[in-house]
Amino acid sequence: MLVEVENLSKTFGEFRAVDNVSFAIERGEIIGLLGPNGAGKTTTIHMLLGLITPTSGRISIFGKSMATHRGEILAQMNFTSPYVAFPFRLTVLENLMVFARIYNLKKPRERIDEQLERFGISKLRDKAIARLSSGENTRVGLCKAFMNDPQLLLLDEPTAYLDPEIAWQVKNALLDAQREKGTTILYTSHNMDEVERMCKRIIFLHHGKVIAAGTPIEITQAILEEEREEPALEEVFMRLVKGKAA
Amino acid sequence: MKLHRINAVIVRHIYESRRNLDRVTDMVWWPVLDIIMWGFFTVYLSHSNRLQPTVVSCLLGAVILWGTFYSFQRDMAVGFIDELWCRNLINLFSTPLTLSEYMVGLIAVCLLKVMVGLLAASAIAWAAYSFDILPWLPKFIPYMANLLFFALALGIAITGMIFRYSTKIQALAWSFAGLLMPVSCVMYPISSLPKWLQDIAWMMPTAHSFEGMRDVLAGKGFSPQHFWWGVGLNVVYFALAIGFFGWIFEKARTRGLLVKQE
Repeated sequence: MLVEVENLSKTFGEFRAVDNVSFAIERGEIIGLLGPNGAGKTTTIHMLLGLITPTSGRISIFGKSMATHRGEILAQMNFTSPYVAFPFRLTVLENLMVFARIYNLKKPRERIDEQLERFGISKLRDKAIARLSSGENTRVGLCKAFMNDPQLLLLDEPTAYLDPEIAWQVKNALLDAQREKGTTILYTSHNMDEVERMCKRIIFLHHGKVIAAGTPIEITQAILEEEREEPALEEVFMRLVKGKAA
Repeated sequence: MKLHRINAVIVRHIYESRRNLDRVTDMVWWPVLDIIMWGFFTVYLSHSNRLQPTVVSCLLGAVILWGTFYSFQRDMAVGFIDELWCRNLINLFSTPLTLSEYMVGLIAVCLLKVMVGLLAASAIAWAAYSFDILPWLPKFIPYMANLLFFALALGIAITGMIFRYSTKIQALAWSFAGLLMPVSCVMYPISSLPKWLQDIAWMMPTAHSFEGMRDVLAGKGFSPQHFWWGVGLNVVYFALAIGFFGWIFEKARTRGLLVKQE
């Protein structure tokens, strides 16, 4: 197992954001972490990144404990979210050069150019971040996320601000990375069609608890309590959140 | 600690300084304006024979050294606030970059900026008011080192407070050194303060540095006593600042403040 999370909990004062969550991710899997706003998805990701200390529980990545091997683990993984930003006066290239240095990449310029090409933003290389659209910013985040060839990629709503065509490109880039390099991806999204297409397995969180886990079709059948031939995660989502089918 | 990650932090802030007029203003504008204003004041005082030449040197020397201290403390805190303004903390700390590497990188950048400001102010003091700091420098350097050491401790403590209370208290970055100015006795000797304030002033490494500087300019030579008192106090304040910062960083991770970004 590449990632093992055991009995993970996080409380902020009286509020229990993540409640006794356990799951495991195999190498090369693309796994969806779903749930409504406030379900605990982002808090779980932040704990996986060592940005938030868990109240209890254990996180092991690459067979090492996050609590004691943070640096080693983070060198082999990466993260992006459209909700974080980059220093806005710096150009795209300058921002990515900073991260290239952090990861000590050989031939950083070539590596950066490859990523800019991959996400179709080569022409933005010398533009200041402040002058980019939200979608362009999201793609700069994705370039950063792929820069160190991570074995594990945590993506928090990576297609949130993208138009359908660019979102399609991004999803293909993720699938290529998984196929060609065996990259393991933990993915959060509110777009259920996208999750059905991308993810082999899904973990559903609600009020900080895992309420369902399995393949999209398994979850659909289990939650809707009927035989289905195709996954219907949108319906599952509505059933779980509102307590009724859409 | 890895050099390439420290280097990344230095490069990040150098890029920022190149592109952000505010940082250039902080680095050069204020030290230069201060020395121009105080320089004219000393010219006025010396023309009317109101002051001895050593007092004029004391004023200009004090302005330059205080500028160095203030800039270093402010740049430390502002450098960190920049990451909050840019919502860049998650990006940085979701990499293998450690807090100590980040702080060492930031300190290196601040030292570089302070040197630029110091050079600019010294050049103007020399060109416009014939105050040449160079001959005094060998004896000033130990006091300057103490000033920077104290600015570092303050910068670390203020950065820790910003970690905890976020940009709500960002004004401290610019104002905290000012609070210490009266008891640092920048322009006047400690003996001019009332007794109860003198006791507080003696606990300030800054006050020892400025007393020492005045001794040098008055021809009394280097005062090891003021230097070592400064070092001793700095060691205590630095240890407290580091302990406070480490504690507050862990608290920030526990409370999820590192990802709040505001």
